[in-house]
Amino acid sequence: MSAAEARRSFLKAGTAAAAGAFAANAVRPAAAQENPRQDPTPAPGAPTDPPGGAQPRGENDVRADYDGFSRYQPSRGNDPDSKWYIGKEVPGFRRGEEGPAPFIAPDVEKLPYTMENGWKVFRLNCTPVRREFLPGYYIDVYGFNGSMPGPTIEATQGDKIRVIVKNDLPEPTSVHWHGLELSVQDDGASHLTQNMIEPGKEYVYELHPHEEGTFFYHSHVAMQETFGMVGWFIIHPRKPFDPPVDRDFGLIFQNFRIDPMTTVVDSWGMDFNWHTINGRSGPYTTPLVCRHGERVRIRIMDFSPIQHHPIHLHGHTFWVTGHEGARVPKTAWIPRNTELIAVAQASTLELIANNPGDWALHCHMTHHMMNHMVQHVGPRLRGQADTERYTANLETRPAVDLNSKALGEVPPGYPQMMQGMKMDPRAMEKVWNRREMKGMRATAPKTIHGLFTALRVLPDDLYRLVMESDEPVEKGAVFAEIVRRFGDYGRYQWAPMMNMNGGMNGGE
Amino acid sequence: MTRPPLLRLAASAVVAGLFAAPAWAQDAGRATLDGPLAAPPPVPTGGDLPVPADIPELHAADDDPIGRRFVEPPPVPEAPRGLGTVVEREQNAAFAGAPLTLDEALELAAANNPTLVQARAQVQGTLGLAVEAGLWPNPVFRYVGEQIGVDREGETDTPGEFQGATLTQEFVTADKRDLSRAKFLQRTRVAEWAAVSQQWRVCNDVRVHFYQALGAKETVAIREDLLKAAEDAVVTAREQWNLGQATRSDLHLANVALQEARLNLLMAENDYLEQFQTLAALIGLPLETGAVVGELDGESAEIDFEQVYREYLDEAPQVIMARQKLREDQITLKRELVEPIPNIFVEAGSGYNFEALETTGTASVRFDIPIFDRNQGNIRRAEADLVRQRREIQRTEMLLRRELATQYRRYLTARQHVEQFAEVILPEARAAYKNQLDAYAEDRQQWPDVLTVQSSYFDLRQRYIGHLVALRTSETLIRGYLLHDGLNVPDPLPPGHLDVTAQPR
Repeated sequence: MSAAEARRSFLKAGTAAAAGAFAANAVRPAAAQENPRQDPTPAPGAPTDPPGGAQPRGENDVRADYDGFSRYQPSRGNDPDSKWYIGKEVPGFRRGEEGPAPFIAPDVEKLPYTMENGWKVFRLNCTPVRREFLPGYYIDVYGFNGSMPGPTIEATQGDKIRVIVKNDLPEPTSVHWHGLELSVQDDGASHLTQNMIEPGKEYVYELHPHEEGTFFYHSHVAMQETFGMVGWFIIHPRKPFDPPVDRDFGLIFQNFRIDPMTTVVDSWGMDFNWHTINGRSGPYTTPLVCRHGERVRIRIMDFSPIQHHPIHLHGHTFWVTGHEGARVPKTAWIPRNTELIAVAQASTLELIANNPGDWALHCHMTHHMMNHMVQHVGPRLRGQADTERYTANLETRPAVDLNSKALGEVPPGYPQMMQGMKMDPRAMEKVWNRREMKGMRATAPKTIHGLFTALRVLPDDLYRLVMESDEPVEKGAVFAEIVRRFGDYGRYQWAPMMNMNGGMNGGE
Repeated sequence: MTRPPLLRLAASAVVAGLFAAPAWAQDAGRATLDGPLAAPPPVPTGGDLPVPADIPELHAADDDPIGRRFVEPPPVPEAPRGLGTVVEREQNAAFAGAPLTLDEALELAAANNPTLVQARAQVQGTLGLAVEAGLWPNPVFRYVGEQIGVDREGETDTPGEFQGATLTQEFVTADKRDLSRAKFLQRTRVAEWAAVSQQWRVCNDVRVHFYQALGAKETVAIREDLLKAAEDAVVTAREQWNLGQATRSDLHLANVALQEARLNLLMAENDYLEQFQTLAALIGLPLETGAVVGELDGESAEIDFEQVYREYLDEAPQVIMARQKLREDQITLKRELVEPIPNIFVEAGSGYNFEALETTGTASVRFDIPIFDRNQGNIRRAEADLVRQRREIQRTEMLLRRELATQYRRYLTARQHVEQFAEVILPEARAAYKNQLDAYAEDRQQWPDVLTVQSSYFDLRQRYIGHLVALRTSETLIRGYLLHDGLNVPDPLPPGHLDVTAQPR
């Protein structure tokens, strides 16, 4: 039995999700494909029942259906004025009294604190950072505590917070607490409210946040901001927001100008060519993974130097429930598919993950969906991408066919060659060696570029397979299973396996 | 562009008003309509505008509204006569003849350069003077008939008192002949050093022009690569045009750059032809242009200015020649100093004495008495020549120092450039080029940028060749006593004040 077959067997035998899996389905006629949405008998792995069953007990109890809106199926509801419309106030599974859901900013650590006489004391060092934007691409930026973005500061409304900032940069700095209504001497506006923190020196900020919501801290030196000096400052409400969410994700979108052959940010550059989400570029961004039916909050902040980002989520309609200033009253929530977020703004989106699948979450500016935009003219366009014939003898160069007629045979605009990507197998291993990527289509990294990540909505069993088990999962298996359960498997085509070392399972 | 009639009328009126409106004509428009009008300037129309010479097929598509409709890129211009694309040229026609090495060139020049024969002939000529100057003066035969028609008692006129013949021999005194021979032999030595100088001139020139030809040949090779780069840039621009990443202007400018690269290659080939034929002329043979074969690059010992100059003072043909000439002038002075010592002319003969009616003999001895002409003028000139020649040695040494300084400056500059190009600039440029190629291979660089760096690298290599040629030229001239111009007539011998006399002395 081959490794692939063994893994298929696992999915068949080891998980309920894969009970009717691929081997059997692959030989069925397309017309006989099981479609759970039309099958009155719940198939194994059908929508997960909420705790306590699907029957409502009270108005805000967790249930499957709310006035025509389904937690488990794409749906709108019956009345735009209803509190359940597009899942507006549909609660998550988590009970409000359990407190806020853990804030998760993928690829960014949380800043620990110590309690000292009732103060939460955080230590923040301003440091140069070498951040791996993509596997093998180590970019020189600035950040905090060796991280760019800096570690997340998490607090609760009403805390007494002391942040001891040490400047380990070679130049003065100061730290601004963006959005807080604080004492002016602690605002961190360089020169305006304080002397700069000289290299090697410390400055203590004392904060008494009466606010709750999405905030952030950043250097108040423009070029240092361009170098990436920012971090989340999440202040949870003393009284948890209603409805409670199951997931609370945070994504910081950033741009950098880094010339193609350097690793150093050009802080003067105006033409941004590297794009990161929480310090990583697609396909190295870490997908957000949630369970089918959960209520999900995604906080997105734009800390690009000068560019806005229209953030688009596929497969769902979300409610904009807050910005960086404050939670928006429910009467002003807006349902959207795309949220335009300007520089230094943050938006909070909430949705019921009622549509299983791997859903693109990305900036819709086309140049933000790629890195290092280079023209593809030259030998590459002539089918001679291999430059060895140039490097074999640098003292002379190969001739070109000046009489080439090829250009007249293709329509204007072709070929741009922007539809592909090239990454060495070891880099691809790094992309795939993350739990959050398990079971995605093998070609997923071909489109996850730049300001691009994915929201994975997985039925409970598949969620556990991906996020809680160490079982190997074949590339595309989870996705295919979702198609099998919720789509039309007869029309589904597996992704080619992208010529990776190790064959179909390479990189795992 | 044709102006609307009203506008044209108004424009004419205003212009005419400027020229013709009198002071009373406040209403310029009416005045120009009613009053006398100056001839309005012609209104240019589209059809009347001068059109520069154009190549219709090159710019046919430019008449389309710019940027409103896709048109094919302009055609690639034809290559100038004698030059196809690099792809089509398997071998450069400039190097078709037999190959030539430096050693071969030197051997051929030694055998065929006409100035070397001239120099040797000059030595022979001077040697002839030495022979001539040392020869005994010829005896002088004289027929003597004295007192013809003398009456003798009892007889009428006699044929003369004496009829006979004498031989006169000049006896050169004071070793004048030996001194004269020594003087001209010394001058022969001067001529020999002039011939040596000429050999250096020829050898140096052959070397210098061989290196220059070699440099020109390597420049041709680099120009070919630059042409390939220009051709690539044209293809790249056309690709960019197809992708909306270049304007039509970019394509035209790429064509311009291509044509310039082609001309640059042709110019480099022309330079090579000139260099090779110059070399052939120095060799002294009408050679068919072929490829020179050799290395421009290579280690060479560093030259020290003072050391070289000290060597010059001991070895340079120019200095030795001047010193030999001084020796000649010293002999000349000696020779002139003995000139006042009179030569003795001894005459003896025999004849018939018709008065005594018997055969008699005759004898005489004579010599100049140096009372008035003691050769003092020539001695003074010889002394002056001696002084002049002493300074000539010094002048030669200083001239060499000055020329060495100039050449040494070129040498230093060339050597510094060659070293830095070889050790830093070219490796850096090559690394940059390699870096660009590697980046391109990783989709991290754009081809037009690669081409730019590539061209820079080839340009730098071309400059390196120029510095190498300059270095080899300077080295050759410095090592070769700064002698050059191997086709000039060999140096004339230094002037002597008595050279023009019929009989040298």
